[in-house]
Formats: sequence, structure tokens, C-alpha cells
Amino acid sequence: MSNKIIPLNDGVEGLFIQNNRFNTTSISFNFYLPMKKSTVAVNALLPFILTSCGKDYPDFTALNLKLNKLYGARLDASCEKYGDCQLLRMTISVIDDKFSFDSDSLVLEASELLLKLVFSPNVENGEFAVNDVEREKRKAIEHIRGEIAEKRVYAKNRMISEMFVGTPYGIPKCGTVDDVMAVTPRSLYDAWQNMLETAFVRVHVVGAAVPQRLFENIKEKFEGINRHDITDCKVCKPAQKSDKVNTVFEKMDVKQGKIVMGFSSDMYGDDDLSLPLLVMCDIFGGGPYSRLFTNVREKMSLCYYCAATSVRYKGLLMVDSGVETENAKKAIDEILNQLEIMKKGEFLDSEFESSIKSICHSMKTYYDSQNSLDLWYALKINNRNLYSPEDIIEMIKAITKEDVIYAAKGVNLHTVYKLLPKEGVIC
Amino acid sequence: MLKEVIHGDIGESYVKAVHSSGLKIYILEKPQYNSCYAIFGTKYGSIDTTFSVNGETTSVPEGIAHFLEHKLFESEDGDAFTKYAKTGAYANAFTSFDKTCYLFSCSNLFYENLEILLNFVQSPYFTKETVEKEQGIIGQEIRMYDDSPAWRVMFNMLLSMYKNHPVRIDIAGTTDSIANIDADLLYKCYNTFYNPSNMFLCIAGNVEADKILKMVESGIKESKPLEIERIKPEEPEEVLKSEVSQNLAVAQPMFCFGYKLPYEKMPSVKDRVCIEILLEVIAGDCSPLYKKLMNEGLINDDFSFEHFCGDGYNAVIFEGDSCDPKAVAEEIKAEIERIKNDGINKKLFSAIRSGLYGGAIRSFNSVESCAMQFVDCAMNDISLFDELKYLKSVTMESVLKRLSLLDSEKTVLSVINPLKED
Repeated sequence: MSNKIIPLNDGVEGLFIQNNRFNTTSISFNFYLPMKKSTVAVNALLPFILTSCGKDYPDFTALNLKLNKLYGARLDASCEKYGDCQLLRMTISVIDDKFSFDSDSLVLEASELLLKLVFSPNVENGEFAVNDVEREKRKAIEHIRGEIAEKRVYAKNRMISEMFVGTPYGIPKCGTVDDVMAVTPRSLYDAWQNMLETAFVRVHVVGAAVPQRLFENIKEKFEGINRHDITDCKVCKPAQKSDKVNTVFEKMDVKQGKIVMGFSSDMYGDDDLSLPLLVMCDIFGGGPYSRLFTNVREKMSLCYYCAATSVRYKGLLMVDSGVETENAKKAIDEILNQLEIMKKGEFLDSEFESSIKSICHSMKTYYDSQNSLDLWYALKINNRNLYSPEDIIEMIKAITKEDVIYAAKGVNLHTVYKLLPKEGVIC
Repeated sequence: MLKEVIHGDIGESYVKAVHSSGLKIYILEKPQYNSCYAIFGTKYGSIDTTFSVNGETTSVPEGIAHFLEHKLFESEDGDAFTKYAKTGAYANAFTSFDKTCYLFSCSNLFYENLEILLNFVQSPYFTKETVEKEQGIIGQEIRMYDDSPAWRVMFNMLLSMYKNHPVRIDIAGTTDSIANIDADLLYKCYNTFYNPSNMFLCIAGNVEADKILKMVESGIKESKPLEIERIKPEEPEEVLKSEVSQNLAVAQPMFCFGYKLPYEKMPSVKDRVCIEILLEVIAGDCSPLYKKLMNEGLINDDFSFEHFCGDGYNAVIFEGDSCDPKAVAEEIKAEIERIKNDGINKKLFSAIRSGLYGGAIRSFNSVESCAMQFVDCAMNDISLFDELKYLKSVTMESVLKRLSLLDSEKTVLSVINPLKED
């Protein structure tokens, strides 16, 4: 299955990802902007306000009613980090026409609705409507403040902000409460204009066919926009090696402590450059066959979870675990011990083989989920080869144990973040 | 083996079979998919704390079904994860109030993986040492949930809603209750609830039904079907306590507001479809209430609701974050009373019905979702297409009829408040 990029304007691309197995078609707008402290919060509000109402649907209830009439079309918004960029996503997904009782043109209608929402929001005199802005600001603030409720996510984000302090990747993806409070109806309008004019844009269709004239319509929309200073998504500074481990702790009224360890990796970047890091990370702390699961959890019975994940384009590897305070040191020592084993190549052939098989399985399942497939290509902006999951499977199969050891040798502890119960002793 | 093919009118069909042991098997072939999803499960969950077989009644420690789930991965010839690691499958398991499920997802070597699944679930191996080791791991899992406001707000509500029914206890039990679990008790529970006549096998994806049935025919150990009597204490219609709160590390209050519904028998698919529509009418994202709560700053996108039912329990729950959970609960009560008086807006009803119908069709996109829906079919003896069928024919009158189930005297508001500053 080959997917071709369709140029639509300067820095605007269309991509049809053909897949006939779903009952639905999904269309996504992906806008990439530089991650900057001054603009992160106002930008992050955009996908949410744009998908909550519009010129034709000034009220979110009217819009939701329309989505229900389109047989429960799903309209989703999100804000993600992509390297040193901020990715703003708006997606609509709708069941195919053949399932409707009255043979409506559901897919066409849904695609036109998304276009209207992106290009014709509820604005007047260069400002978004005050009520809409205040509502979305309140929701964003509650979301940011609410992060503390999910301790595992909170701890991981805290580690990232410590490890990447002062760099774009260290900025919280939706900004801070103060940043959100500073947004005005005017500044949000300016951010919307800026997004249309300067963002790198990718529009995806995942399904059996591209809705009629969709790409032509988008092309026409952008012809009326003054495109300039397009975001360069290639700008992405990898994690820097640190001579001294930075240890940060925070106390909270919790029963179980969390530790998150951030490692820099000499191997980073696009798929073909950093795949050994993916395999290394998986053997180290991926599935139940991994070193961390079998040793820290199963043999030492120290925790319920101890897992490693990587963000390859940033050269970042993270290990996180929930442990009792008195066991934190023991767990950290064992995690580092397992990393040494990885560096010395003392992991088993069977672990290596399990990992390769498991990653290949994950790659194949991308084709069975419309959303995963969409997101896969949304995170393949810099890679001109537009590798598919199938392409990656071939590359993964070519990776050797030596490649994995080489990747492990380039992994160095940078930051340790500990979330500790208030009554606990710091270990 | 008894076998039938059931056709739906959305271009999907599936095989339902019953093995001579009583095991129910459901298979949906999706040849165009890369992956397959299989679940081998038993009708045994955290609420099955007292049971009787052949006149002998047993009471077991809270959390034992979940403990058993963890321990079953270990067999005498090694653990199941190691076996799956050789095939590259993703494997997991979960325990809920009324069931325990073992699952795998794979895109290669399906029949080898199925063999692993059938074998390990049918090969219990519990020793003093392995039980003790698991007490440490599950102890940490329990501690993790103790820190989870979303988990606590729900269980605090159930504790206040149910006086006696074991749905009020934590699925994983407590560190004290799991300390009372030993190998003998695990075997006792296993031999009772892991009888094939109490179990189901649900599969969807790139598979061949005939090949699976052939494998299952010889892969299920012979055992006599058991008559299990699940003993549930008498449960009053009233709630135990109408308000409950706890302080945890959250930024703003989190709430669960539940209505205890009368329970006579497990609600049918028709009941469930009607209540699903009713909840959308009351508080769905195109309802007048949702608009009011959102515009007044009382809810955010985390607001949701569900119909929560099983053997002996039946409730509807509204949950979310709010600066004023009491105000939200009052608004919900008022809206229900308003609908009781004014009825349902026709346009709203029709849009909600279309929306849910589309959602049901969308769920067939995912092999995981299909397999999970089969679990519901097995647990409640229904067809995969029943929901779609009722969504097509359901009337506003039958939805309105269910409104009387929601009694504002039988509600519980559970709140997690932020910690007070030191």
C-alpha cells in the first residue's frame, strides 16, 4: 500500500491513507507550530475552540446535535508535542454512507463540516466570541490543574519539564495556568490567523475513498491565505548528555511513591536512524519479557509496574515505577543494574527475539485502527520516505544484537524525579 | 459441538458454538484484518465472595478472584508470559465485579497463541511461595489505587450505595484481606468457577472459525458441569448513605453521583438501550442540562455517565470534576423531574438514536471491541446484533417508561475534595 503526498499549497499537504477494512472514514487536520513559551497556551486552545462551535454552529449544543444526526460522527481535538513543535489536531470520523437509514452523503457532509469549523469559526471584528473563549480557557485551566490527580502521568511530565528545562520540549504542551489566563478573544484570533498562515499543515483521510473534492476545496481555502514563514518541523534538539545526575523530589499526600528516571540517548531522530533504541528500550522495559518486568517486578516483587518508554526523535528514554519510599533506592539501583546488563550485551537471545516479534506485532496492528494509522502518519512529518508500519517491520527485522548494545551504550542517566509520600524519608 | 451462524444486517456474521463441556464459543471472522483478539473468561468476579456447590457453602477473602487471575499466569512448566513472548503476542488479563478474562492479541501464529491461552487457563499451579510473592505485587497495585481519586470516588460511592451487596468492595481487596489468601483457597475457587460450563471463549479477527472449533473440541479438559449457587446478601432498595467525601491530592473536587435502581433481574438489552438513550436525553452533549452545566462552569469535558449493572446491582452514575458537585447533583435531579413532566423533545430523541446507532456500527471497526462485546453476549445470553436491532425499533414511550426507575430519594453523591493546605 503506497501513500502519496499531495501538495496543496506552500507547506500544506494532503495524504490519503487507503484502508478498506473500516466502517468509517476519518479526516484529520494537523497543524504544526514551533513550541514557544509565549504562544503555547493560546495555540493549544485553538483545536478545542474550533471544534466546539463555528460560524454556522455558534452554540456547542447545535454542533453536537448535528454530529448526532450524522450518525454519531466523532469530532476530536488534541494538542501534542512533536519534537520541538506543537501539533494541533482536529479529526472527524463518520460511518460510511452505506450504513445510514436514508443513504445520506454522510462522509461528504462530515468533511465539509470539518472544513467549515477550521476555516469559518465563530469570530467577529477580529475576535472570538467572549463566552466561547472564557469557556475554553476555564476547561484548559481545569485540565492543567487536574493533571495532579493522575500521579503517574503527573510524575512523568514533571520529569520531562526538569530534564528539558529552558528548552522547547520542557514546555508543558498546553502551557501553564498563567499562560492560559493571559489569552484574550483578540490574541486567540491572532493565533488562529497565525496558524493558518505559518503552520506546516497535513490533512489526512483514512478510509476507502477521499470525499469528493476534499483536497481541491482545501487548496482553494489556502489560496486566499497569505502563507509565510512556514514552521520548520526539522528543528528538534535532542536530549543532552549530563555530567551530573539531576535529582529532584517532591512531597505529596500519597500512599505510594513514584520514580521517573530520564535518560539521554546518543541515538535519536527519524525511524531509520534510531530503531535500535526502540528495540533496546523494549528489551529493557517493554513487555512482560523485559528485564525490568522480570527482575524489578517479578523477582524482587518491588512494584506493580516498572516500564521503559522512548521518545526517539528527542533521544529520550524514560523509566517509571510506583514503589514504596523505603524501596525506592533498591528499585533505582536495580534499574541501573539492568541498564548495565543491556550495555554489556548480557541480555538473552530469547529476550531480543521476543522484543523483535512484539514490535512487529504492534506495527501490524496499526493497520487495524483508523486512529492509530492517522496518528502514525501525523508523526511522520520529517521523514520524506513516509515509512509505513510495514516498512518499519522490515527494518526492525534487520536489527542485530550488536545494534541494540550500541544503542544501550549511548544511554545515560540525566534526571531522577521522585514523588514521595509526605511522611516518607528521602532515599 | 452445537454450532450456528448468526447474520446481522450490517454485513457481519458470527459463529456461536457450545462445547460438550458447556463452554460457550463466539467467533467473528475478519479476514481483511491483520490481527486477532481472543478472550478466555469465566463468570467469576469480585462479587462472588460466597457460593455454594452441592450444598456446601464457602466464603472467601475479598479480592481473591483478582488474586487468582494474577496467579493463573504461572503454571508448573513456566509462566504464560514467557510462552507468549516466543510468539510475539500481546497478553493480559483483567478482573471486574462479575468476570475474569484472559486475553491476547496477535498478528501471527494465532493457533499457537490460542493453545497457550487454553492450556494455561486450564492448568492452575499455586504454591505457598508463589502466593506470598504475589501478595507484595498486588499490595503495590492496591496502594496505587488508594492514590487514584478516580478509583476512590467510584468505590466510595458504591460503599455508600450498597449496604450488603459485595459490589461495594474493592476488586483487588485490601492488603489485609489478601493476606488471608492461600493456595488451598485458590484451588477451591478455581475448581468451582473455572469449570468450562461457567466459561466463554470470544474471538474476533483474522481467523478461521472451523479451525478454532476443531482445536477447542479436543483442547478443553473434560469436567462435569457444576451448579454454582451465588449467594448474595439481602440488599435494601434504599441507599446506605446519601453523601460521602474524602480528601486527596486533586486540584478541584471530583464527583460520582449515582442513582440506585431497583433490581429484580439482570436488565435486558432493551432495558439497557432505553436507559442509554435516557441518559443521553438527560445529560448528553446535546441536552439542555449539559449546556446549562457547561455554561455555568459546573462541568468540563471529563463529565460522563454510565448505566452500571450486574448480578444484583443496578445503578446509573454521573461523574466528573466540578467546583460545586452538589450543584451538579441538584441540577441533574431537577432535570429528571422536568423530563418526567415535559417529556422528551422528538428531534433530540431522533438525533440521539442515530448517534448511538452510528456508535454501535463504529464498534465493529475494532477486533478488541468485537471480542469484548462477545463477552457481554456470553454473560447475558444475548446476540451481538441485539443492540443494533433495538436501536432501530426503540420508541420514545419505552424510553420514557424507564424514567420512573430514577428515584431522587435513592441517590448518593460521592466527592473527592482537594487536601486542605497545611
